[in-house]
Amino acid sequence: MKRYLLARAGFALVSLVLLSVTIFAFVRLTGDPAVLLTEPGASPEDLVLIRQQFGLDRPLWVQYGSFVAHLARGDFGQSFYYRTDVLDLYLSRLPASLLLAAVAMAFSLVIGIPTGVIAAVRVNGWWDSAGKIFALLGLSLPSFWVGLLLILFFSVFLGWLPSSGSGSLLHVLMPAFALGWYFAAAHMRLTRSSMLEVLGSEYVKLARLKGLPEALVIAKHALKNALIPVLTLAGINLVLMVNVAVVVETVFAWPGVGRLLYEGITARDFPIVQATVLLGGAMIVVVNFLVDVLYAVIDPRIRYDR
Amino acid sequence: MRHRGLLPVLLVLLSAALLPAALAPRASAAPEGQLTWAVHVSLAPTWFDPAEAPGIITPYMIYYALHDALAKPMPGQAMAPGLAESWSVSKDGRVYEFVLRNGIKFHNGEPVTAEDVKFSLERYKGAASKTLKERVAGVDTPDARRVRVRLKQPWPDFLTFYTSATGAGWIVPKKYVEKVGDEGFKKAPIGAGPYRFVSFKPGVELVLEAFEGYWRRAPQVKRLVFRVIPDEATRLAALKRGEVDVAYSIRGELAEELQRTPGLTLVPAVIQAPFWMYFADQWDPKSPWHDRRVRLAANYALDRKAINQALTLGHSKLTGSIIPSTFQFYWQPPTYAYDPPRAKKLLAEAGYPNGFDAGEYFSDTAYANLGEAAVDYLRKAGIRAQLRPLERAAFFSGFKEKKFKNLIQGASGAFGNAATRIEAFVASGGTYVYGAYPDIDGLFSEQAAELDQKKREALLQKIQQLVHEKAIFAPLWELAFLNGVGPRVGQSGLGLIAGHAYSAPYEDVTLKGK
Repeated sequence: MKRYLLARAGFALVSLVLLSVTIFAFVRLTGDPAVLLTEPGASPEDLVLIRQQFGLDRPLWVQYGSFVAHLARGDFGQSFYYRTDVLDLYLSRLPASLLLAAVAMAFSLVIGIPTGVIAAVRVNGWWDSAGKIFALLGLSLPSFWVGLLLILFFSVFLGWLPSSGSGSLLHVLMPAFALGWYFAAAHMRLTRSSMLEVLGSEYVKLARLKGLPEALVIAKHALKNALIPVLTLAGINLVLMVNVAVVVETVFAWPGVGRLLYEGITARDFPIVQATVLLGGAMIVVVNFLVDVLYAVIDPRIRYDR
Repeated sequence: MRHRGLLPVLLVLLSAALLPAALAPRASAAPEGQLTWAVHVSLAPTWFDPAEAPGIITPYMIYYALHDALAKPMPGQAMAPGLAESWSVSKDGRVYEFVLRNGIKFHNGEPVTAEDVKFSLERYKGAASKTLKERVAGVDTPDARRVRVRLKQPWPDFLTFYTSATGAGWIVPKKYVEKVGDEGFKKAPIGAGPYRFVSFKPGVELVLEAFEGYWRRAPQVKRLVFRVIPDEATRLAALKRGEVDVAYSIRGELAEELQRTPGLTLVPAVIQAPFWMYFADQWDPKSPWHDRRVRLAANYALDRKAINQALTLGHSKLTGSIIPSTFQFYWQPPTYAYDPPRAKKLLAEAGYPNGFDAGEYFSDTAYANLGEAAVDYLRKAGIRAQLRPLERAAFFSGFKEKKFKNLIQGASGAFGNAATRIEAFVASGGTYVYGAYPDIDGLFSEQAAELDQKKREALLQKIQQLVHEKAIFAPLWELAFLNGVGPRVGQSGLGLIAGHAYSAPYEDVTLKGK
């Protein structure tokens, strides 16, 4: 078990190192941030000054070495644009992203699980078709378009909800729905397939043969087991929701880490992009590591096989 | 009975006490209410510190509220006295003396002194700081209200650089900055402007409150909130719902929708950002663009009015120049009419009766719509070019490094005057100059050493005349920045200062009925 854990931790570390190299290189491929920090027509001296100020005049390997050395001390650097500590900035935005992800997850589960169950119980029927269309739309409609439609309908037309920003529970409803729909569709699809598998199993047949009411069979015997993969996926999706809400947070002016990443990209603010991608990646790596560990604890075959 | 006798006397006394208050101008009333802006760009803490002014116009959105300058552009004046009530220049053009107003204070109650002015200039590290430092020999403070800036050599553009092209003339409190440091200052800035800092969430929201001790006049709105809403459609939705009072940058179809919405007003602000087409190959004798008639043909082929109407609802200004019309030493050239037959005739005379393949038309993606329209009109006249939009940074890098050929859609919103723009885009050695003309270069060198403003103006205007005659460019427009204003706003401050993109001065901003 110890060897297994060490191996998994090693893989996690290698993933993070590779991610750091990749993101470091990619942001630099996008161009020169000094150009975006000055007005066209700025003198070459000003551009040189800005590059010197941010250490961008040094060779790439020196920049990377400095980046990793600071990272080892938990220092993600100073934002070019905000001139403030990137980690502080990230942490100030994280609560908003966590709240959005939590509400979006609640939406996705409240919508995804019941529709998935109904689709499985009424397989190939009207409900199943409706569920499939719902899933298809959720997975294929771009979230910025869904977001704008929601704003037009609920804010401008009906006047029920604030169009953007944060501050109250009403503010979170539309962005959470826009973000949650995609995941609701994924949860619905998984619930449906998982339920279909469980409903065809021997113990469910036995429960039916025993004469238990269908509702009880579905709710108590089938759903309980069918939910295991759905909740596992939901756990991983929660981490994704925190990190991928770039478009939704931008459309709704929601002050989360997704919007911070957008700001970093548009301003070519290398430290912000590096920090948000690395911290998001670290979250996913840590969750995957924990899932691996839990699987190994639950199922001894895994730790012996690998 | 005694009471009856006292009553008229009391009434007279009461009236005497209340009358002055009733007759006092509204401006002296205590500030009240709140105005909220939906801002299109992320607000950065560096914009709280004029020492870091990066040479772009956006931070001035904040400077005009938090800070004040010795002199600055104001309504109707390109260089209005601010914290300095007056200034003078020595005969040899090497010493500028500024006299500060009496009794002016920072938000923390400390007086604005000559030491603060000296400190602010010496501390300045933003755009063009190198130019300033190379040319300024020293700063003297003979007394608390007097500042003398000594130059190494006469520099005719000193005031332009000091008061509008850089943040060096915007004054910060020396004692406070020394106490809290540069980083501390950005977290809790103190200035001498009409609004004081209350709170800031980077990239999200900035809240300011009226500073009633502001020298020019007490602000009329108590609280200003700047909310960052990156998406244009969301900004318009917030404006329609009354969540914000002013929404910056609403373009195209959304601007048309704004115009159609009852209660909302579209307010354009023509900014100091002209756009033009640059004939990069005009110095190559083998290129069709070497022939002035071809360049003139391109100018006559463009229907600028139609482009303006389609893209900025007719609010951009068609000046025919690459220099902002609000700049010092500006010369108004004759504008080109839309004349396709003349364009075709000129092309035929130049030896291109069937037109020619003009290669690529390079533009910044953000303004590719303007390039698309220009390319369409050129094609109609027989000049066949392909639009090549590039991401902003890549575009300006390529432009600057002279990597482009054929046609380039140039633009600039940088501060300065006609001389600074000619230096960057026309004169030999300029950052974005692909070739030059000796007569223009000669005049440019001459004006740089000329201390007599009138003579200098004549030289700079002669250069602009030559630029027009040689058809070095095909000027497109001076961009209008379109904004939405909600029904609660009395005076939005938009367009009050010529060439300024944002609301200002903030002490003039009002709520309706207040």
